[in-house]
Amino acid sequence: MASKRLFDKIDSIQLLSVTKKYDDRFAINDISIDIEGGELVIFIGPSGSGKTTTLRMINRLIEPDSGTILINDQNVMELEPVALRRNIGYVIQNIGLFPHMNIAENIGLVAKLEGWDEKKIKDRVEYLLDFVSLPSEMFMDRYPHQLSGGQQQRVGLARALMMDPPLLLMDEPFGALDPILRKQLQEEFYQIREKLGKTIIFVTHDIEEAFKLGDRIAIMDDAKLVQIGTAEELIFHPANEMVASIVDTSKKFKHLDTLKIKDLISPLECMYVHDGSLDVEGAISSMIEKNIEIAVVSNGSGPLGIVKLIDLLRMDDKESKIVDHVIEIPSFSRNELLSSSLKIMQKDGHSMAFVMTDGKLSGFLFPNDAFSQVIG
Amino acid sequence: MFGIAIFLASIIGVFLGLFLFSRPKIAHPMLNLLNLVETIPDIPLLVLLLPIFGLGKEPTIVASVLYSLLPITRNTYTGLKEVDLKYVDIARAMGLSEKDILLKVRIPLSLPMIVGGLRIALVFTMGVVTLGGLIAAGGLGAALIAGIQLYKINTILVAGLWTGLLAVIFDGLAGIVEKRLQRRYGIW
Repeated sequence: MASKRLFDKIDSIQLLSVTKKYDDRFAINDISIDIEGGELVIFIGPSGSGKTTTLRMINRLIEPDSGTILINDQNVMELEPVALRRNIGYVIQNIGLFPHMNIAENIGLVAKLEGWDEKKIKDRVEYLLDFVSLPSEMFMDRYPHQLSGGQQQRVGLARALMMDPPLLLMDEPFGALDPILRKQLQEEFYQIREKLGKTIIFVTHDIEEAFKLGDRIAIMDDAKLVQIGTAEELIFHPANEMVASIVDTSKKFKHLDTLKIKDLISPLECMYVHDGSLDVEGAISSMIEKNIEIAVVSNGSGPLGIVKLIDLLRMDDKESKIVDHVIEIPSFSRNELLSSSLKIMQKDGHSMAFVMTDGKLSGFLFPNDAFSQVIG
Repeated sequence: MFGIAIFLASIIGVFLGLFLFSRPKIAHPMLNLLNLVETIPDIPLLVLLLPIFGLGKEPTIVASVLYSLLPITRNTYTGLKEVDLKYVDIARAMGLSEKDILLKVRIPLSLPMIVGGLRIALVFTMGVVTLGGLIAAGGLGAALIAGIQLYKINTILVAGLWTGLLAVIFDGLAGIVEKRLQRRYGIW
């Protein structure tokens, strides 16, 4: 039985004063949100804050006690639930692939119920498996328990996309995966999101995930919507303490204060050091031979600065000494605090600095490297 | 006779299980009633059925079905009821109707349980059908009873071993089906 295509494209989703109670407790307390078509909105908050309940009301898995939910100005309560849900993709944390069906049957289930012909189902399943980076010929006939967690989650996404729904609901889709895999799937999801071109509502408790993936982030607490906005809005204008503490990314960098330069030093290798009396011609051939882009210019007692291969190549006077072309860079002692050094470098626009040990050059400091090490 | 009894018991048992699942209120009283039937020893049950069905195959089949009903019905009911809710939830979220959820999710997922019930029923039926020899139902039971009455050791041994062997074979076959279902699903 083919159900009606309710919407080809989402123009808007509106929640108007939606409330849901279980006994005396509010699961959702008077929430109103406007979501635009094509947006990726992330709901985040502590467990029990009502984020999943909100998500599940959009496809009527839970029905509100009061208030209205409109998709493209149609009240979802007036739509037939089965048809509504076939127009909305749904991905959950525990995936829930049916263990008695192989991967192709899992993905194609609703299409089969809709009466698609076998060929059309097979083509679409193959396309979707390739889309989520699982070679279709390898995976179509396998059963879910033969797949790893990450593979299962990809199949879960493919299944949600089968009917090409304009709206996707995702409830902590990466929550059960180990951190490395989660990062990878987030990255992949970020890449394919553009291609999907869908409106997505996403629940997570991981603020990094929210910042990475979300266009707007809705912060929930105690059954209420506390604030909704872009990452910048939340960071710079948090509505209250609770939002500030959730989005407080500086918290993550707090230990930066205690780090010293020596913790993030990139050690010096001899091949970088060139004597200042060398001419440009000689420096170029030496650097090309050593396959380095930057050379440290020394006058025998200590480093004067650096020269860059790209600059040397552009020079007309190849006879001149490199000591005349030195770019000075800051130098720090290895026991200085990382945070203050980085501030100085940022102020003067330097991308690297020397690190000195007992007055001698012992390594470099690259802020970009340092940051990626601190964050990653 | 054995085949008919098992066939009837499976059909009635599975449908009764389905019915009880859709009417949870009467599930418990009904299962208790079946439990009660189960407690009646087999010879008295046959005797009780004699006035209604007369001598021969009919009361034997009825007795077998009555005995087999409990394991099949109870396993069907429990199987359907105990299907992991996450599968039901995602099925509903994908847009399966309640009928589709029953047909595509609940029943297939409870198949290993249902087959398990059937397996118990097979052994029960084997015993009752053999006892049917007492009330002129024929079959191996008749040979066994005759052997006992005439005190012919060879007859008793051949008929008894055959009965036992058949029971072991059927149970083994059902066991293989059950195991395969479980392995395929990888959930138990």
